[in-house]
Amino acid sequence: MSAEVEAKKTGSLWKLSLDTWAVLLAFLLALLVRTGVFKHIPW
Amino acid sequence: MADVVTVPQVRPVQPALRFLRVIPGVLLLAAVGYAGKLLEQNVGAYAKAHHWTFPNIEYVLWAIVLGLVISNTVGVPEIFRTGVATYEFWLKAGIVLLGARFLLGDILKLGGVSLVLVAIEIVGSLAFMTFLGRLFKLKPKLTTLLAVGSAVCGVSAIIATKGAIEADDEDSSFSIAAILALGALALFTFPVIGHFLHLSDRAYGLWAGLGVDNTAEATAAGALYSDAAGKLAVLVKSTRNAMIGFVVLGYAIYWAGKGQAQSVGNKAAFLWQKFPKFVLGFLVISVLATYHFFNKDQVGALANLSRWAFLLTFAGVGLRTNFGEMRKQGLRPFAVGAIGEVVIAGFTLALVYGAAKIFGW
Repeated sequence: MSAEVEAKKTGSLWKLSLDTWAVLLAFLLALLVRTGVFKHIPW
Repeated sequence: MADVVTVPQVRPVQPALRFLRVIPGVLLLAAVGYAGKLLEQNVGAYAKAHHWTFPNIEYVLWAIVLGLVISNTVGVPEIFRTGVATYEFWLKAGIVLLGARFLLGDILKLGGVSLVLVAIEIVGSLAFMTFLGRLFKLKPKLTTLLAVGSAVCGVSAIIATKGAIEADDEDSSFSIAAILALGALALFTFPVIGHFLHLSDRAYGLWAGLGVDNTAEATAAGALYSDAAGKLAVLVKSTRNAMIGFVVLGYAIYWAGKGQAQSVGNKAAFLWQKFPKFVLGFLVISVLATYHFFNKDQVGALANLSRWAFLLTFAGVGLRTNFGEMRKQGLRPFAVGAIGEVVIAGFTLALVYGAAKIFGW
Protein backbone atom coordinates (compact mmCIF):
# COMPACT_ATOMS: atom_id res chain seq x y z
CA MET A 1 0.00 0.00 0.00
CA SER A 2 2.74 2.42 0.94
CA ALA A 3 4.54 1.58 -2.31
CA GLU A 4 1.37 2.40 -4.21
CA VAL A 5 1.05 5.76 -2.47
CA GLU A 6 4.71 6.44 -3.13
CA ALA A 7 4.25 5.56 -6.79
CA LYS A 8 1.32 7.97 -7.01
CA LYS A 9 3.46 10.67 -5.41
CA THR A 10 6.26 10.01 -7.89
CA GLY A 11 3.71 10.20 -10.70
CA SER A 12 2.41 13.58 -9.54
CA LEU A 13 5.96 14.93 -9.25
CA TRP A 14 6.60 14.01 -12.88
CA LYS A 15 3.34 15.73 -13.80
CA LEU A 16 4.76 19.18 -12.92
CA SER A 17 4.29 21.54 -15.86
CA LEU A 18 7.04 22.12 -18.39
CA ASP A 19 7.27 25.68 -17.08
CA THR A 20 7.90 24.52 -13.53
CA TRP A 21 10.57 22.02 -14.58
CA ALA A 22 12.32 24.74 -16.60
CA VAL A 23 12.29 27.07 -13.58
CA LEU A 24 13.61 24.31 -11.29
CA LEU A 25 16.46 23.53 -13.71
CA ALA A 26 17.35 27.22 -14.02
CA PHE A 27 17.35 27.64 -10.20
CA LEU A 28 19.55 24.56 -9.82
CA LEU A 29 22.02 25.90 -12.40
CA ALA A 30 22.01 29.32 -10.69
CA LEU A 31 22.73 27.62 -7.35
CA LEU A 32 25.60 25.60 -8.86
CA VAL A 33 27.09 28.80 -10.27
CA ARG A 34 26.59 30.63 -6.96
CA THR A 35 28.25 27.87 -4.92
CA GLY A 36 31.21 27.72 -7.30
CA VAL A 37 30.54 24.24 -8.72
CA PHE A 38 30.40 25.88 -12.16
CA LYS A 39 33.10 28.54 -12.09
CA HIS A 40 33.31 29.54 -15.70
CA ILE A 41 30.82 28.91 -18.47
CA PRO A 42 32.45 29.54 -21.85
CA TRP A 43 30.60 30.94 -24.87
CA MET B 1 -1.63 -9.38 -6.06
CA ALA B 2 -1.85 -7.42 -9.29
CA ASP B 3 -0.99 -4.22 -7.38
CA VAL B 4 2.17 -5.80 -6.00
CA VAL B 5 3.31 -6.68 -9.51
CA THR B 6 2.28 -3.45 -11.22
CA VAL B 7 3.64 -0.80 -8.88
CA PRO B 8 7.35 -1.65 -8.96
CA GLN B 9 7.21 -1.88 -12.78
CA VAL B 10 5.64 1.54 -13.28
CA ARG B 11 7.70 3.50 -10.75
CA PRO B 12 11.27 3.25 -12.00
CA VAL B 13 10.71 2.61 -15.72
CA GLN B 14 8.32 5.34 -16.88
CA PRO B 15 10.31 8.48 -15.95
CA ALA B 16 13.57 6.83 -17.02
CA LEU B 17 12.11 5.88 -20.40
CA ARG B 18 10.71 9.36 -20.84
CA PHE B 19 14.15 10.78 -20.10
CA LEU B 20 15.87 8.38 -22.51
CA ARG B 21 13.42 9.23 -25.30
CA VAL B 22 14.38 12.92 -25.27
CA ILE B 23 18.14 12.34 -25.48
CA PRO B 24 18.52 11.84 -29.29
CA GLY B 25 16.47 14.95 -30.06
CA VAL B 26 18.29 17.09 -27.48
CA LEU B 27 21.60 15.95 -28.98
CA LEU B 28 20.29 16.94 -32.43
CA LEU B 29 19.30 20.38 -31.06
CA ALA B 30 22.80 20.76 -29.59
CA ALA B 31 24.49 19.62 -32.81
CA VAL B 32 22.47 21.95 -35.03
CA GLY B 33 22.83 24.87 -32.62
CA TYR B 34 26.57 24.34 -32.22
CA ALA B 35 27.00 24.01 -35.99
CA GLY B 36 25.29 27.42 -36.25
CA LYS B 37 27.78 28.85 -33.75
CA LEU B 38 30.74 27.38 -35.66
CA LEU B 39 29.38 28.73 -38.95
CA GLU B 40 29.07 32.22 -37.46
CA GLN B 41 32.71 32.15 -36.33
CA ASN B 42 34.24 30.46 -39.36
CA VAL B 43 32.27 31.87 -42.29
CA GLY B 44 32.95 35.43 -41.12
CA ALA B 45 36.67 34.72 -40.56
CA TYR B 46 36.98 32.94 -43.94
CA ALA B 47 35.28 35.81 -45.77
CA LYS B 48 37.53 38.33 -44.03
CA ALA B 49 40.69 36.34 -44.81
CA HIS B 50 39.73 36.25 -48.49
CA HIS B 51 38.70 39.94 -48.55
CA TRP B 52 35.08 39.07 -49.41
CA THR B 53 32.21 41.34 -48.55
CA PHE B 54 29.94 39.04 -46.56
CA PRO B 55 27.33 40.10 -43.98
CA ASN B 56 27.99 39.00 -40.42
CA ILE B 57 25.34 36.31 -39.96
CA GLU B 58 24.68 35.53 -36.30
CA TYR B 59 24.52 31.98 -34.91
CA VAL B 60 20.80 32.57 -34.31
CA LEU B 61 20.08 32.71 -38.04
CA TRP B 62 22.50 29.90 -38.93
CA ALA B 63 20.90 27.58 -36.34
CA ILE B 64 17.37 28.37 -37.56
CA VAL B 65 18.29 28.01 -41.24
CA LEU B 66 20.13 24.71 -40.65
CA GLY B 67 17.10 23.41 -38.76
CA LEU B 68 14.73 24.57 -41.52
CA VAL B 69 16.84 22.87 -44.20
CA ILE B 70 16.83 19.56 -42.29
CA SER B 71 13.12 19.74 -41.49
CA ASN B 72 12.05 20.62 -45.03
CA THR B 73 14.40 18.26 -46.95
CA VAL B 74 15.22 14.98 -45.22
CA GLY B 75 12.74 15.65 -42.38
CA VAL B 76 13.21 14.97 -38.67
CA PRO B 77 13.16 11.18 -38.03
CA GLU B 78 10.72 9.90 -35.40
CA ILE B 79 13.48 9.03 -32.91
CA PHE B 80 14.48 12.72 -32.62
CA ARG B 81 11.01 14.27 -32.39
CA THR B 82 10.38 13.95 -28.65
CA GLY B 83 13.71 15.60 -27.88
CA VAL B 84 13.30 18.32 -30.51
CA ALA B 85 9.95 19.20 -28.90
CA THR B 86 11.86 20.16 -25.71
CA TYR B 87 13.03 23.40 -27.34
CA GLU B 88 10.34 25.31 -25.40
CA PHE B 89 11.70 23.87 -22.16
CA TRP B 90 15.18 25.24 -22.98
CA LEU B 91 13.63 28.56 -23.98
CA LYS B 92 11.94 28.92 -20.60
CA ALA B 93 15.03 27.88 -18.64
CA GLY B 94 17.03 30.37 -20.75
CA ILE B 95 14.60 33.19 -19.98
CA VAL B 96 14.78 32.49 -16.22
CA LEU B 97 18.60 32.58 -16.35
CA LEU B 98 18.49 35.75 -18.47
CA GLY B 99 16.91 37.41 -15.41
CA ALA B 100 20.49 37.75 -14.03
CA ARG B 101 21.15 40.41 -16.68
CA PHE B 102 18.20 42.58 -15.63
CA LEU B 103 18.21 44.87 -12.63
CA LEU B 104 14.86 45.09 -10.90
CA GLY B 105 14.70 48.87 -11.52
CA ASP B 106 15.05 48.32 -15.28
CA ILE B 107 12.32 45.69 -15.22
CA LEU B 108 9.96 47.99 -13.34
CA LYS B 109 10.73 50.91 -15.67
CA LEU B 110 10.61 48.99 -18.96
CA GLY B 111 7.99 46.56 -17.70
CA GLY B 112 5.73 49.47 -16.74
CA VAL B 113 5.96 50.99 -20.23
CA SER B 114 5.59 47.63 -21.92
CA LEU B 115 2.64 46.69 -19.70
CA VAL B 116 0.66 49.68 -21.01
CA LEU B 117 1.64 48.89 -24.61
CA VAL B 118 0.88 45.18 -24.12
CA ALA B 119 -2.59 46.01 -22.78
CA ILE B 120 -3.32 48.19 -25.83
CA GLU B 121 -1.87 45.54 -28.17
CA ILE B 122 -3.95 42.73 -26.64
CA VAL B 123 -7.24 44.62 -26.76
CA GLY B 124 -6.59 45.89 -30.33
CA SER B 125 -5.45 42.49 -31.61
CA LEU B 126 -8.34 40.56 -30.04
CA ALA B 127 -10.87 43.01 -31.50
CA PHE B 128 -9.33 43.03 -34.97
CA MET B 129 -8.87 39.24 -35.22
CA THR B 130 -12.47 38.69 -34.07
CA PHE B 131 -13.66 41.13 -36.73
CA LEU B 132 -11.55 39.35 -39.41
CA GLY B 133 -12.78 35.90 -38.34
CA ARG B 134 -16.38 37.06 -38.71
CA LEU B 135 -15.63 38.72 -42.06
CA PHE B 136 -14.12 35.47 -43.41
CA LYS B 137 -16.94 33.44 -41.81
CA LEU B 138 -14.56 31.24 -39.78
CA LYS B 139 -16.05 29.06 -37.02
CA PRO B 140 -16.44 31.17 -33.83
CA LYS B 141 -14.13 28.99 -31.70
CA LEU B 142 -11.50 28.92 -34.44
CA THR B 143 -11.71 32.72 -34.50
CA THR B 144 -11.23 32.79 -30.72
CA LEU B 145 -8.13 30.57 -30.96
CA LEU B 146 -6.60 32.67 -33.74
CA ALA B 147 -7.36 35.87 -31.82
CA VAL B 148 -5.77 34.60 -28.61
CA GLY B 149 -2.77 33.19 -30.50
CA SER B 150 -2.14 36.53 -32.22
CA ALA B 151 -2.85 38.75 -29.23
CA VAL B 152 -1.12 36.93 -26.38
CA CYS B 153 1.48 34.25 -26.84
CA GLY B 154 1.12 31.99 -29.80
CA VAL B 155 0.98 28.24 -29.33
CA SER B 156 0.86 28.20 -25.50
CA ALA B 157 -2.13 30.53 -25.49
CA ILE B 158 -3.93 28.46 -28.13
CA ILE B 159 -3.39 25.24 -26.17
CA ALA B 160 -4.52 26.87 -22.91
CA THR B 161 -7.62 28.35 -24.57
CA LYS B 162 -8.49 25.14 -26.43
CA GLY B 163 -8.90 23.30 -23.12
CA ALA B 164 -10.81 26.14 -21.46
CA ILE B 165 -13.37 26.70 -24.26
CA GLU B 166 -13.54 23.04 -25.39
CA ALA B 167 -12.55 23.80 -28.99
CA ASP B 168 -12.04 21.05 -31.63
CA ASP B 169 -8.62 19.49 -32.21
CA GLU B 170 -8.95 20.51 -35.85
CA ASP B 171 -9.49 24.18 -34.94
CA SER B 172 -6.47 24.23 -32.65
CA SER B 173 -4.30 22.52 -35.32
CA PHE B 174 -5.38 25.16 -37.86
CA SER B 175 -4.58 27.98 -35.46
CA ILE B 176 -1.23 26.55 -34.35
CA ALA B 177 -0.16 25.97 -37.97
CA ALA B 178 -1.11 29.54 -38.94
CA ILE B 179 0.67 31.07 -35.93
CA LEU B 180 3.83 28.98 -36.51
CA ALA B 181 3.98 29.78 -40.24
CA LEU B 182 3.52 33.48 -39.57
CA GLY B 183 6.08 33.36 -36.75
CA ALA B 184 8.62 31.85 -39.18
CA LEU B 185 7.92 34.66 -41.65
CA ALA B 186 8.26 37.29 -38.90
CA LEU B 187 11.73 35.93 -38.07
CA PHE B 188 12.97 37.00 -41.48
CA THR B 189 10.89 40.14 -42.07
CA PHE B 190 11.09 41.92 -38.69
CA PRO B 191 14.91 42.41 -38.63
CA VAL B 192 14.91 43.58 -42.28
CA ILE B 193 12.14 46.12 -41.62
CA GLY B 194 13.83 47.21 -38.37
CA HIS B 195 17.12 47.92 -40.17
CA PHE B 196 15.29 49.61 -43.05
CA LEU B 197 13.54 51.96 -40.60
CA HIS B 198 16.78 52.45 -38.57
CA LEU B 199 14.97 51.49 -35.36
CA SER B 200 17.02 51.78 -32.17
CA ASP B 201 17.70 48.56 -30.22
CA ARG B 202 15.12 49.60 -27.67
CA ALA B 203 12.40 50.43 -30.20
CA TYR B 204 13.06 47.25 -32.19
CA GLY B 205 13.14 45.01 -29.10
CA LEU B 206 9.84 46.49 -27.97
CA TRP B 207 8.34 45.93 -31.43
CA ALA B 208 9.56 42.30 -31.68
CA GLY B 209 8.18 41.55 -28.20
CA LEU B 210 4.81 43.11 -29.04
CA GLY B 211 4.43 42.00 -32.67
CA VAL B 212 5.84 38.44 -32.90
CA ASP B 213 3.46 35.85 -31.48
CA ASN B 214 5.40 32.82 -30.31
CA THR B 215 7.93 33.33 -27.50
CA ALA B 216 10.68 31.37 -29.28
CA GLU B 217 10.28 33.39 -32.49
CA ALA B 218 10.05 36.70 -30.58
CA THR B 219 13.31 35.84 -28.74
CA ALA B 220 15.01 34.87 -32.00
CA ALA B 221 13.70 37.91 -33.92
CA GLY B 222 15.07 40.16 -31.15
CA ALA B 223 18.44 38.37 -30.97
CA LEU B 224 18.80 38.60 -34.77
CA TYR B 225 18.80 42.41 -34.46
CA SER B 226 21.15 42.83 -31.49
CA ASP B 227 21.85 41.50 -28.01
CA ALA B 228 20.17 44.52 -26.38
CA ALA B 229 17.11 44.21 -28.64
CA GLY B 230 16.91 40.49 -27.83
CA LYS B 231 16.91 41.20 -24.08
CA LEU B 232 14.10 43.72 -24.41
CA ALA B 233 12.08 41.50 -26.75
CA VAL B 234 12.18 38.75 -24.08
CA LEU B 235 11.06 41.17 -21.36
CA VAL B 236 8.13 42.53 -23.41
CA LYS B 237 7.11 39.06 -24.60
CA SER B 238 7.18 37.80 -21.01
CA THR B 239 4.89 40.68 -20.03
CA ARG B 240 2.50 39.54 -22.79
CA ASN B 241 2.76 35.94 -21.58
CA ALA B 242 1.84 37.05 -18.06
CA MET B 243 -1.53 38.18 -19.40
CA ILE B 244 -2.45 34.74 -20.74
CA GLY B 245 -4.51 33.70 -17.69
CA PHE B 246 -6.74 36.78 -17.78
CA VAL B 247 -7.47 36.46 -21.51
CA VAL B 248 -8.17 32.72 -21.33
CA LEU B 249 -10.37 33.25 -18.26
CA GLY B 250 -12.34 35.93 -20.12
CA TYR B 251 -12.96 33.62 -23.07
CA ALA B 252 -13.76 30.64 -20.81
CA ILE B 253 -16.45 32.71 -19.05
CA TYR B 254 -17.78 33.97 -22.41
CA TRP B 255 -18.14 30.45 -23.90
CA ALA B 256 -19.51 29.02 -20.64
CA GLY B 257 -22.12 31.80 -20.71
CA LYS B 258 -23.16 30.55 -24.15
CA GLY B 259 -23.44 27.01 -22.77
CA GLN B 260 -20.61 25.76 -25.01
CA ALA B 261 -17.93 25.22 -22.34
CA GLN B 262 -17.76 24.22 -18.69
CA SER B 263 -18.08 27.08 -16.22
CA VAL B 264 -14.98 28.16 -14.29
CA GLY B 265 -15.20 27.32 -10.57
CA ASN B 266 -12.28 28.83 -8.63
CA LYS B 267 -11.08 31.78 -10.72
CA ALA B 268 -7.92 32.39 -8.66
CA ALA B 269 -6.87 28.74 -9.07
CA PHE B 270 -7.63 28.98 -12.80
CA LEU B 271 -5.42 32.08 -13.14
CA TRP B 272 -2.58 30.43 -11.22
CA GLN B 273 -2.82 27.27 -13.32
CA LYS B 274 -2.55 29.26 -16.56
CA PHE B 275 0.07 31.72 -15.33
CA PRO B 276 3.48 31.10 -16.97
CA LYS B 277 5.72 30.15 -14.03
CA PHE B 278 8.92 31.03 -15.90
CA VAL B 279 7.96 34.71 -15.64
CA LEU B 280 8.11 34.35 -11.84
CA GLY B 281 11.43 32.48 -12.11
CA PHE B 282 12.82 35.30 -14.26
CA LEU B 283 11.79 37.87 -11.62
CA VAL B 284 13.32 35.83 -8.76
CA ILE B 285 16.71 35.58 -10.53
CA SER B 286 16.54 39.28 -11.38
CA VAL B 287 15.84 40.21 -7.72
CA LEU B 288 18.79 38.03 -6.60
CA ALA B 289 21.08 39.69 -9.18
CA THR B 290 19.89 43.17 -8.15
CA TYR B 291 20.77 42.48 -4.50
CA HIS B 292 24.24 41.11 -5.47
CA PHE B 293 23.52 37.49 -4.64
CA PHE B 294 25.72 36.77 -7.68
CA ASN B 295 29.08 38.46 -8.30
CA LYS B 296 30.04 39.86 -11.71
CA ASP B 297 31.66 36.63 -12.93
CA GLN B 298 28.68 34.60 -11.80
CA VAL B 299 26.29 36.93 -13.67
CA GLY B 300 28.47 36.37 -16.76
CA ALA B 301 28.30 32.60 -16.27
CA LEU B 302 24.49 32.70 -15.91
CA ALA B 303 24.21 34.85 -19.04
CA ASN B 304 26.29 32.29 -20.96
CA LEU B 305 24.15 29.42 -19.66
CA SER B 306 21.13 31.36 -20.92
CA ARG B 307 22.80 31.69 -24.36
CA TRP B 308 23.39 27.92 -24.53
CA ALA B 309 19.74 27.31 -23.67
CA PHE B 310 18.66 29.73 -26.41
CA LEU B 311 21.02 27.99 -28.85
CA LEU B 312 18.99 24.78 -28.40
CA THR B 313 15.78 26.79 -28.75
CA PHE B 314 16.77 28.40 -32.05
CA ALA B 315 17.78 25.03 -33.51
CA GLY B 316 14.37 23.71 -32.41
CA VAL B 317 12.52 26.60 -34.08
CA GLY B 318 14.03 25.56 -37.42
CA LEU B 319 13.67 21.82 -36.88
CA ARG B 320 9.98 21.88 -36.00
CA THR B 321 8.96 24.22 -38.86
CA ASN B 322 7.76 22.16 -41.80
CA PHE B 323 6.16 24.24 -44.53
CA GLY B 324 4.70 21.17 -46.30
CA GLU B 325 2.72 20.15 -43.20
CA MET B 326 1.56 23.74 -42.69
CA ARG B 327 0.24 23.91 -46.28
CA LYS B 328 -1.94 20.86 -45.60
CA GLN B 329 -3.85 22.78 -42.91
CA GLY B 330 -5.69 24.92 -45.47
CA LEU B 331 -5.56 28.49 -46.66
CA ARG B 332 -8.47 30.34 -45.07
CA PRO B 333 -7.30 30.38 -41.44
CA PHE B 334 -3.81 31.14 -42.71
CA ALA B 335 -5.15 34.08 -44.75
CA VAL B 336 -7.00 35.45 -41.71
CA GLY B 337 -3.86 35.01 -39.61
CA ALA B 338 -1.66 36.64 -42.26
CA ILE B 339 -3.89 39.68 -42.71
CA GLY B 340 -4.23 39.99 -38.96
CA GLU B 341 -0.48 39.69 -38.36
CA VAL B 342 0.37 42.34 -40.96
CA VAL B 343 -2.13 44.76 -39.43
CA ILE B 344 -0.96 43.94 -35.87
CA ALA B 345 2.70 44.41 -36.92
CA GLY B 346 1.80 47.85 -38.33
CA PHE B 347 -0.29 48.70 -35.27
CA THR B 348 2.44 47.68 -32.80
CA LEU B 349 5.05 49.56 -34.84
CA ALA B 350 2.89 52.69 -34.54
CA LEU B 351 2.64 52.08 -30.76
CA VAL B 352 6.43 51.79 -30.52
CA TYR B 353 6.91 54.99 -32.55
CA GLY B 354 4.47 56.74 -30.21
CA ALA B 355 6.30 55.45 -27.11
CA ALA B 356 9.69 56.42 -28.61
CA LYS B 357 8.42 59.94 -29.18
CA ILE B 358 7.00 60.26 -25.66
CA PHE B 359 10.07 58.79 -23.90
CA GLY B 360 12.67 60.28 -26.27
CA TRP B 361 14.29 56.92 -27.28
